Amino acid sequence: MELQAVLMAAGGGSRMMDLTYNTRKPLLPVGNKPLIWYPLNLLERVGFEEVIVITTKEVQKMISTDPKMKLDVKMKLDIVCIQEDADMGTADALRHIQQKIKTDILVVSCDLITDAALHEVVDLFRAHNATLSMLMSKAHEFTETVPGQKGKKKTGEQRDFVGVDGTGKRLLFMANEADLDKGLVIRKSIMRKLPRMHIKTGLVDAHLYCLKKSVVDFLADNKSVSSIRGELVPYLVRKQFSKSMTSPNVNDEADQKLKKKDGNANLEIQILSRDEVLLQLTRERSCWNDHRGDMSEAYHGVRLRCYVHIMDEGMCYRVNTLAAYIEANRLAPKLFDEPAVHPSAAISVRCLIGADSIIGASCQISDKASIKRSMIGASTTVREKVKVTNSIIMHGVTIEEGCNIQGSVICSNTVIGRGADIKYCLVGSAQRIEPEAERTNEVIVGTDQLMEI
Amino acid sequence: MSSRGGKQKKGNVTSEQEEEEQPLQAVLVADSFNRRFFPISKDQPRALLPLGNVAMIDYTLEFLTSTGVQETFVFCCWMSNKIKDHLLKSKWCRPTSPNVVHIITSDLYRSLGDVLRDVDAKNLVRNDFILVYGDVVSNIDVSQALQEHRHRRKVDKNISVMTMVFKESSPGHKSRCEEDDVIVAMDSKSKRFSMGTDEFEIRHDLLDCHISICSPQVAELFTDNFDYQTRNDFVRGILVNEEILGNQIHLYVTQDGYGARVSNLQMYDSVSSDMVRRWVYPLTPEANFTDQQGQGCTHSRHNVYRGAEVSLGHGSQMEENVLIGRDTSIGANCHISNSVIGNNCTIGDNVVLDRAHMWNNVHISSNVEIHQSVVCDGAVVKEAVHLNKQCVLAYNVVIGPNLSLPDGTVVSMHHPEEEEEDDDDEFLSDDQEVGHSKDKTRQKAFNPAEVGPEGKGYIWKASMNDTEDEELAQCLWGLVLNPDPESDSESEASEESQDRTFQLEVLGTLQRGLEENIVCDNLVLEINSLKYAYNITLKEVMQILTRVVLEYPFQQQGTQLTTLQYTGSLLPLLKTWSPVFKNYIKRAQDHLDCLSAVEELFLEQDTHQTAMVKVLMKMYQLEILEEEAILKWFSTGATNDKSRQLRKNQGKQRMSLQRKESEEDESSEEGE
Repeated sequence: MELQAVLMAAGGGSRMMDLTYNTRKPLLPVGNKPLIWYPLNLLERVGFEEVIVITTKEVQKMISTDPKMKLDVKMKLDIVCIQEDADMGTADALRHIQQKIKTDILVVSCDLITDAALHEVVDLFRAHNATLSMLMSKAHEFTETVPGQKGKKKTGEQRDFVGVDGTGKRLLFMANEADLDKGLVIRKSIMRKLPRMHIKTGLVDAHLYCLKKSVVDFLADNKSVSSIRGELVPYLVRKQFSKSMTSPNVNDEADQKLKKKDGNANLEIQILSRDEVLLQLTRERSCWNDHRGDMSEAYHGVRLRCYVHIMDEGMCYRVNTLAAYIEANRLAPKLFDEPAVHPSAAISVRCLIGADSIIGASCQISDKASIKRSMIGASTTVREKVKVTNSIIMHGVTIEEGCNIQGSVICSNTVIGRGADIKYCLVGSAQRIEPEAERTNEVIVGTDQLMEI
Repeated sequence: MSSRGGKQKKGNVTSEQEEEEQPLQAVLVADSFNRRFFPISKDQPRALLPLGNVAMIDYTLEFLTSTGVQETFVFCCWMSNKIKDHLLKSKWCRPTSPNVVHIITSDLYRSLGDVLRDVDAKNLVRNDFILVYGDVVSNIDVSQALQEHRHRRKVDKNISVMTMVFKESSPGHKSRCEEDDVIVAMDSKSKRFSMGTDEFEIRHDLLDCHISICSPQVAELFTDNFDYQTRNDFVRGILVNEEILGNQIHLYVTQDGYGARVSNLQMYDSVSSDMVRRWVYPLTPEANFTDQQGQGCTHSRHNVYRGAEVSLGHGSQMEENVLIGRDTSIGANCHISNSVIGNNCTIGDNVVLDRAHMWNNVHISSNVEIHQSVVCDGAVVKEAVHLNKQCVLAYNVVIGPNLSLPDGTVVSMHHPEEEEEDDDDEFLSDDQEVGHSKDKTRQKAFNPAEVGPEGKGYIWKASMNDTEDEELAQCLWGLVLNPDPESDSESEASEESQDRTFQLEVLGTLQRGLEENIVCDNLVLEINSLKYAYNITLKEVMQILTRVVLEYPFQQQGTQLTTLQYTGSLLPLLKTWSPVFKNYIKRAQDHLDCLSAVEELFLEQDTHQTAMVKVLMKMYQLEILEEEAILKWFSTGATNDKSRQLRKNQGKQRMSLQRKESEEDESSEEGE
């Protein structure tokens, strides 16, 4: 086993609370499959046989009991539960399962929907004996109108600056706009080694990381690091060019041990693995070099290396906002070829269902209903003369006669009264919309769900 | 910027067709406006210094001509007569020359800015022109850059004002000038200088060739902004005001051309050796592109060039990369490598030359050794002289015999003090200056210890003034910049200091509160705002607060307090500030955290450990700390030996004290 896969599925979905109030993020239906299915499927497609899933008790219970949430994956899932209220970051979670980790790891977030070729990331990891390799993609503009959001899109999150070398593979620099109060500061020593640096913005981090086992051991020693993306990755990227890692006498193990005694050792990552000495020898004997321009050895003797694969095309979404969720729903059906209409759905002959819609199991769709570009969840009832366009209807929803639903998200078990007209709304779960209601651009949730101030 | 309207008009008047037909113009600045080559350039302007036995300005003119320039304006200032004479004699002023050279001289130019303002005033350029210095050596074909530049201007309506030519060369390349260590941020697609677009590239592998293709606006912009002195000022001004004025600067990167500016002797050395090694092909020594009689030489393998009438003594070796000018004679058993020797030189026997640059009419006696040094016209090196690295013998200097000059010695016939006195009128016409300086030179004797018994010349000190600028001006060989030490733990340190500053701020707040009798509520408010400003967690706030309060007596009265004094001053403080504490210490966990902070402090101040009991007592009485919390803290395992000791020492006393006090409370026994 070369890599162990770890799926992080304990996040609450704090950036789309309206959606995740009743359904935990990993279980949100996307194309009638729980969100968590997508990364699992991704891993299964590339041949993983076992995955460690880090999640909460609640999600685990739902996965094992609720038939709607059934994950049809053949991999062996090793589900590790963490306490929800412990406020654990992703790095904390890795530390939690340190005992289980025997090799290098591939960490995937549960909200990743992508058709990326995973081997590209892993190949970088293998080819350069990297400490970290990760996946990024060009950020997508979300075209769909987001329900309940008035006016133009907010200016969004602050930009990330990502610096890669001339080949576009080596990750040299990473900073968030928020941290750059004095402008972009790049150390000259990096520039001297790798004189061409492309700075890119407008990239999304897919939160997919290949990490060396030593990084997990490092986490175990360093309790202060709690998030992979927020702390660990920037630390590793920075550490590439700090002096202690580039000490010329690499093979000097005595030196390493000395450092350990100093007590600073827990701040350093011990990258030296068993075969490192041999690799070093190979590199010295070989004429291969990763850079041109100066005569120094490959990688300039840097032992900690970070790489990134940036997808040029293909889709890569992180479903962590409402807009992304809607976009993912629109595109997800293209990822798998299952019949759009579930065989157990009862569909009247005289209704209109667009080819780009998905109808879940045991749905009932009555006469003269029209469904376009929408997703209808399992056990949903759609009565006569209902028009559903561009919408996401989750499980167990009842839509009474003559409703018109456009560009909306309707969460589970909601009942929509007869003749209601709902445009660009987000309707929370188990709501009851009165008949003939006209709602536009609203977020309709129960009072218990309103934010405490 | 009033002239922008004017620009547009001009652009419209000349129709496109005319633009194509108009001859390509160039502005050649034959003055460096700095004194990096002093004292050599005191006798000869930099543009006329020989490089590979050809004056540098000839390379520049050849480069311009070969790239298609038909009209060149040469601007001279310092020693303009010499430059003028040189040019009038050269092939550029022959009627057959494809490149018409106009020489414009003025003593008033003090910077590139002045030259370009004059270009604008005289209305010399009508179209895009090439701006270049008189010491640029290049074989780059800029016609492609020119095309790109014209295309951009056509498409974007004169937005692009300048295209700078860069050569790719990795850091550490020897033709990279240490002082000119540019880092460029560019937009890879549009080749524009930029930051802040979605994607840009930061490049440190570019060498500024100091060749720029300018739009006519450049001259106007220099006029508008009379504070622009150098091209760097201009570039900075354009980039800073890019959003306001909409002017842009582009760059053109060449991979295989050669282009470098001889900006100091280090560069002189590298460019000269590149020249001999034929990197600047077709501008090679044997090409005789200046078309002067007798300049020709033959090229044989290992890059050895010999001019006409060169005589070489028995047993002398010319190892590699050697250029010898005409009528030079070399004695027996010499060893010459990587050197350039000018015309009419005589070299004695058993001479070793390595990386030596000897100009014309130099006399070297026997048994001399010269390493990486420059020997100017008419210099005489007597017997058994040893020139170490980076020495400079200026015009007509005599050195030796039997002397060894240390690294970096500069010898000139001009006295350095005379130079200082004349500092102010350095740009005045030269004959005057030379005239009266001669009188002075006579008065000062040469120091035989410095230049040898028969020597003539004065030693110039590398750095006479302390100011950095001056040092740079005197440092002929250019800077040797030490690589900046790579800092390691930047972020860790900053986080630490954040806590520290917070602590200081809290201390300040409390101090002020005490002095000005501020209500505790306001203190809390202030600390809260500090908490947000420094992004400190509640737990840390409480711990730091505890620490600050407990250290307060030390802070105020020095660390030499006795325990009694300490408790005496601390206890009233605790009383005044108890509302502040109460505000932060609410939950059970807070109590424990506070206790651990107290413990930590007294572990450090181990002479005052006995005071801890009283402090805890007081805090208990003031209802800051709860009894259970104290007992719990006491019973939980001590983390290390010292703290165990601490607890042990005080355990009994405290317990007894506590019990006494808490008898009115009901249940101390249970808590135990």
